[in-house]
Amino acid sequence: MNIEDYRDMIPDFEKFVARMNEPQPYWLRVNTLKITEDELIPRLEDKGFVLERFAGMNAYQIENMPVKHPGATVEHSLGYYYVQDFSSMLPALLLSPSPGDFVLDMAAAPGSKTTLMAELMKNTGTIVANDISDNRIKALAANIERLGVSNAVIVKGDATSRRFGAKFDKILLDAPCTGEGTYRKNQKERMPNLSDHIRMSKIQKKMLKNAERHLKEGGILVYSTCTFNPLENEEVVQYGVEELGLKIEKVELDIPHDKGVKSWREWSFEKVSDRMIRIYPHLVDTGGMVIAVLKK
Amino acid sequence: MQFSKNNSYRDYFIERFGIGKEIEKYDFYEFAQSVWAYSGEYYEDKKIEVMGIRALRIKKVYKPTTAFLRIIGRYATKNVISLSSNDGMKFLKGENIDGVCGNNRGYVVVKSGSDVLGCGLCAGKLVSQIPKKYRIEETWL
Ligand SMILES: C[S@@+](CC[C@H](N)C(=O)[O-])C[C@H]1O[C@@H](n2cnc3c(N)ncnc32)[C@H](O)[C@@H]1O
Repeated sequence: MNIEDYRDMIPDFEKFVARMNEPQPYWLRVNTLKITEDELIPRLEDKGFVLERFAGMNAYQIENMPVKHPGATVEHSLGYYYVQDFSSMLPALLLSPSPGDFVLDMAAAPGSKTTLMAELMKNTGTIVANDISDNRIKALAANIERLGVSNAVIVKGDATSRRFGAKFDKILLDAPCTGEGTYRKNQKERMPNLSDHIRMSKIQKKMLKNAERHLKEGGILVYSTCTFNPLENEEVVQYGVEELGLKIEKVELDIPHDKGVKSWREWSFEKVSDRMIRIYPHLVDTGGMVIAVLKK
Repeated sequence: MQFSKNNSYRDYFIERFGIGKEIEKYDFYEFAQSVWAYSGEYYEDKKIEVMGIRALRIKKVYKPTTAFLRIIGRYATKNVISLSSNDGMKFLKGENIDGVCGNNRGYVVVKSGSDVLGCGLCAGKLVSQIPKKYRIEETWL
């Protein structure tokens, strides 16, 4: 899409466009499975990192650093922190798995959210982390190992159809998408076109259907993507509500965000738009993320 | 081939490193010449690629992994070598360290301050067993 196609959909559109053209800052979170924030942050600051903690959360924007890449430190190699955009933490935080939960992460690699969920679960319960790509599973396994995550099982399969042989308390479907929200980070050139979004939307619906099948009665499912187009977000979630009988939960979120999109071109998403969460780059200086919390 | 549970490997960590009840939160699974430490609930699936963290490689003797020692090593009470921060950096670059092993022989937990750096082998000198993926580079801090 041309970014102009979103002019009426995104509030403060000029600010949005300006932010999309700026480089994206790095963020990190402390891996509390291995070290506390109080121990690690002063250590990094002593080395010359300038970190801005966000809203009292375990989320730090890196304002300045003494190394070229935020991972070029002993502490990173020891698994004391994970470099992760703040927007990407939110799906896991909203799913909010507790110690002992039985969790499925359907499209897990490279494990930014798997490792955060393991932290929230204090390495207890179970995370079944699935992905389809061998290469990305290698990255997932490497991150799980570096962070010391010991409650995860990695499996390989197609999230549109794979049977997982169990029902789960909580499911994260951080779906493959056209990734418009990561263009700031990657400075990609080609924006996806309408047929890309339509094709992706079909795959995402299949994944959501398979996710619903594996969710326990009363279980929670978080659907998220890092793209802005509503066909990959509101449209998929509306399918979940209308066709799969999922309920969309009302979420209180103290972080600057926008609600879902009511309509775009000939499509209307009235049934779900009010309860969806949109994180835009110009709100907290992050990438982009769209999230829905669903209940069976 | 599947991951099969065998908790007798706990004894290795108890006997070699004096680790106490902290080891009990892990179940141990054998798979492909390795032993995996897993703190989750039992989950059955025909195609498991990874289960928890690789804890041991089964060779002539058991070889503990750096990744698992980095979790459990803080509870070790024997066969532990503590390095100065200078030597610690060298060790993390994959260099061997003279004069620190004393009477120790075999695989040890290597620490520096409160950090568990990983697995070393005492064979006269301390031979770094840090795998390439965890070695730090010259320009790193
Ligand atoms: C947005 S990324 C996931 C990011 C990950 N959740 C994280 O936080 O690190 C989407 C993932 O979906 C995977 N994927 C694509 N098609 C898939 C399929 N049919 N089944 C399972 N995974 C798939 C990709 O390999 C990719 O790793």
